[in-house]
Amino acid sequence: MFVSDEDLMMKCGKGDIGAFELLVRRYQNPLINYIHRSIDDYHRSEDLSQETFLRVFKSANRYEPTASFRSWLYTIATNLCRNEIRNRSRRNTCSLEGLVEEGEDVHHTEIMRDTRYLPDILLEKKEQRQMIRKALAQLPENQRVALTLVTYQDLRYEEVAEILGCSVGAVKALIHRARQKMKKLLIKAGIGEERVNEKI
Amino acid sequence: MKKYRQTESPDIYSSECEALLVSPDELSAYIDKELPVWKRHLIRRHLKKCEICADRVQRLQQTDSFLRHAGAVDVSDDFLSGVMARASEAALHQRQHDSLRSHVARFVETSLGWTRHLSTLMGSLRYNIRTRSPVYIFILTFAVFTMVGVTLYPPSGDKLLEESHGLELNAEKLISFEVIQPEPPKRLLTTYLQGE
Ligand SMILES: [Zn+2]
Repeated sequence: MFVSDEDLMMKCGKGDIGAFELLVRRYQNPLINYIHRSIDDYHRSEDLSQETFLRVFKSANRYEPTASFRSWLYTIATNLCRNEIRNRSRRNTCSLEGLVEEGEDVHHTEIMRDTRYLPDILLEKKEQRQMIRKALAQLPENQRVALTLVTYQDLRYEEVAEILGCSVGAVKALIHRARQKMKKLLIKAGIGEERVNEKI
Repeated sequence: MKKYRQTESPDIYSSECEALLVSPDELSAYIDKELPVWKRHLIRRHLKKCEICADRVQRLQQTDSFLRHAGAVDVSDDFLSGVMARASEAALHQRQHDSLRSHVARFVETSLGWTRHLSTLMGSLRYNIRTRSPVYIFILTFAVFTMVGVTLYPPSGDKLLEESHGLELNAEKLISFEVIQPEPPKRLLTTYLQGE
């Protein structure tokens, strides 16, 4: 029987730690990927994901299912990512470009699984991933957040509007502008059209 | 590796497209299935006729599809156990904090309860004074009489003490009477002889 996130959260608020574990299992992968795409540092992504879940747990007894659990979870994560990026730029120790190189690690299992027997393709894919991440990092913050949430986390515009605290119309405009900009950045990076066409 | 076609159609919609789509953002919303059914239907029909819009939609889909191949990361094996350990720790802290808070709250509530009772009493008294109600007059008279009585006639405890003191004195008097009481005069030998 499927129990909704909101019901699990209500149970969690009453001290049911098993319900909380189920929520963590459900969202650990999407959440770490969301944070990873925002800050591009695997180890910090794990720290921030843990922090996000802990904040959810601590405020579970105050949770009211007025908004969807997903929006709430990603709002907390988005705020943590914003702080992280702000602190990082204040420290100014490493540029985002450097992080993209550094953040390229061995955790990309999904891609590696089906291409490990083809080193050339693997290299090409690795380069492509790097380019996409660099391009994403170049988007204005709200555009990046909106596009990431819709593309990778499959959130509805309404949920993104809740997270960003704006109207659905504004999200629509953000997404469109983000896609336009991404298209230009990808063309600039020389990313192929043929491969994409295969997938459609 | 082929590239995106650089020769792009300019970012201007024909008046018909503009009227139909309201804004270019609608095409993005269309591929995200965020539009109401009637609008999706309308756009689908338009795309069959308008090459420019059809091309735009295709490019947006390409970008989207390309983004989806950005790869994903997996959480480490000990991530879940780490989160659960920290959550359990937080729950324990919360419980301790809650019990302390409930103790303090109970104490404050009790004190507040007493203050409330007292203020109710004072309030009713003040009301009685203001309205000069018989209850107040009775209580006041009673209080005044009691005070006067207490002043004039000291509490019975002292009286008892005094009484017992008096008894003691009387006993002393009795004893001294006994002692002082003169003995009957002894008959002199001469008078005795004279009587014989
Ligand atoms: Zn058109």
